[in-house]
Amino acid sequence: MTAGVLTRARGARASRIGGNTVLRPLVVFTLAVILAFFAMIYSRISLDRTAFELHQIEQEFAAQDRVHWDLRLELARLQDPKRIDAAAAGLGMVYPEQRITIEAPGVGVEPSSGTERWTASRSLLTEPDQ
Amino acid sequence: MPGPRWRIHDLRVIALGVVVLLAWAAIGYRLFQVQGEDAAALSQRGVDQRLRHEEISPKRGTIYDRDGIELAVTVYGSALIADPKLIRDPALAAALLAPLIEENLADLTIKLDGDSRYVRLTGALEHTEAALLATAIEESGLDGLTLVEEPVRIYPSGSLAAPVIGLTRLDDGSGIEGIESIMDGALAGRAGERIVERDAAGRAIPQGEYLIEPSMPGSDVFLTIDREIQHTAERVLGLAIEQTGSLRGAVVVLDPSTGRILAMASLPAFDPNDRTSLLPEMLRNGAVVNVYEPGSTLKIVAVAGALEMGIVAPGTVIATPPEITIGDETFTDAADHPRIMTVADIVAKSSNVGTIEIQRLLGNERHYAFLDAFGLGRPASIDFAPESAGRLDHYTRWCRSTCGASAAIGYGIGTTPLQLAGVYAAIANGGEWVEPHVVSRIVGPNGDQITSEPRRRRVISSDTARLVRTMLQQVVEGGTGHRAVLEAFTVGGKTGTSNKFDVELGAYSADETIAWFAGMAPIDDPEIVAVVVLDAPSGQLEDGTELKFGGASAAPVFAQIAESALHQLGVAPDRG
Repeated sequence: MTAGVLTRARGARASRIGGNTVLRPLVVFTLAVILAFFAMIYSRISLDRTAFELHQIEQEFAAQDRVHWDLRLELARLQDPKRIDAAAAGLGMVYPEQRITIEAPGVGVEPSSGTERWTASRSLLTEPDQ
Repeated sequence: MPGPRWRIHDLRVIALGVVVLLAWAAIGYRLFQVQGEDAAALSQRGVDQRLRHEEISPKRGTIYDRDGIELAVTVYGSALIADPKLIRDPALAAALLAPLIEENLADLTIKLDGDSRYVRLTGALEHTEAALLATAIEESGLDGLTLVEEPVRIYPSGSLAAPVIGLTRLDDGSGIEGIESIMDGALAGRAGERIVERDAAGRAIPQGEYLIEPSMPGSDVFLTIDREIQHTAERVLGLAIEQTGSLRGAVVVLDPSTGRILAMASLPAFDPNDRTSLLPEMLRNGAVVNVYEPGSTLKIVAVAGALEMGIVAPGTVIATPPEITIGDETFTDAADHPRIMTVADIVAKSSNVGTIEIQRLLGNERHYAFLDAFGLGRPASIDFAPESAGRLDHYTRWCRSTCGASAAIGYGIGTTPLQLAGVYAAIANGGEWVEPHVVSRIVGPNGDQITSEPRRRRVISSDTARLVRTMLQQVVEGGTGHRAVLEAFTVGGKTGTSNKFDVELGAYSADETIAWFAGMAPIDDPEIVAVVVLDAPSGQLEDGTELKFGGASAAPVFAQIAESALHQLGVAPDRG
């Protein structure tokens, strides 16, 4: 009786699974659809995450660009002749009443060769007369 | 056997079933309405609520000096905007904001308690200020306050070259004066367009932006202005105006070989960053708009013309009586001189009588031709708007009697300081007039450069120009221009003093003058030409010389500016 029951059970199982040729591919298909669904969700999340990161990078770039221009503006302000004038006056400096021009040999003249450049430089290193 | 009887219990079940059915039917009908019938309209409503068409403002181009230092630049600041409808406690919000934005508490409370949906509380704030404000608002949890990014035009050097650079409108950022105006087309760029999804609070939804057309930033404009020379010109001119009590003044410094304007000062001027004290007169660039009679500075044209035509030579002797009467007008000289003088001496001593005689030899027609060729009677440059053409009547409209004589000594003709600088630059440049210009190049957002070659025309020969320069040197070294002498450089130039025409009186003023000095250095191969003009200087020097004369007031200004400019340009001294 037990063998008969087992046989019947096996047979019944076989009929539930192996025997039903429509059910197995259906299960596989369903599993595939579910997996694809989750894969789609995951890829969408990745895409959104990347888009957010891109947006953040763009925001950072814009912020750095603003900082860049703020620094250039600050540099231009610092180089304002009027500001330097006022700062110099505050330190007690004045415009010279007389300008004294010292002509240094070789300075301001473009020599054509390395030898000439060296000669011009050496002339600047000449010991002053005692 | 009798059929089944409907019990009350069954009727209730049926009734409940009918109700449920009806409810589902109603839901189904509503679903059909929303998803079918009204779907398009509701979808469009949703889109309209979320999607906004927005213009992308282009970044305005930058204006640089010749060394590439910014003179005008657009940066982005944040303005604080309030929506009073969303502010639950205006008093609390005002108490928080008033010290931060330096606004009166009572005024601010009134602004925040209004019915408007948009109240601007500040102008564009700089980065650090805006960040502090944003933190304070976030920590307080107040609604209805937003920081909106907007462009602001900054002029980091303040009033330096302000009449040349100009300024922009506060509302739409377009240029209204100077280079900002005339180069507005290049500086402005082109606006773009985008669609942005915004939530109910007006915040942009990330990834909800769709670019239709990107904006094109404006081109950058590089000027020929040298900031150091410009600053010196403004500083020295300012001091001269103060010391002489002049109404206004202008200085132009040119590179004669290229026509590049190294400095152009016009005072009184303005600070484009501070519009509270702006007056209309300050916006005028006096160097290109104000027209004056040039007086003796224009004598050089008649002399140059006569030399060029071979009518006279520097050593030609001309009779120079103390006065000369033409028609009903008598022309005299300011100082005594010999009864006969050479052409060179006539120029050195600035003799009116001698110059009139030379002009008579030249003739009105040829004199006019030279005045025209030297650039008088028309705008000198395309880089300025507005620019006055000055005044030069065609010689056929000159009166037969005195007009030629008046023109010879610089009366009856109107010039701007820039036009006169062009005249002297032509003499400095070997007789070739070069169009003065202040725009060096335009650089597009893609890096492509646009430069334009200035107009040139030969006016006199290089030999004539050299002779004229030699005579101008004598003016400075032994004549009326001795206060323009420089220790390290040879200088040539001409003083000028013209009586100011009083429009109300309809006659020339006896006291008020226009004082000029136009000069160049070094004399053999001039690197700079500078013109100085002072309107109605007064007072005296220590030696009693009246400052109303160009030689007393304008010549020293030239000397200081020229010396500084030559050193700045690295020009080697040519005097031992």
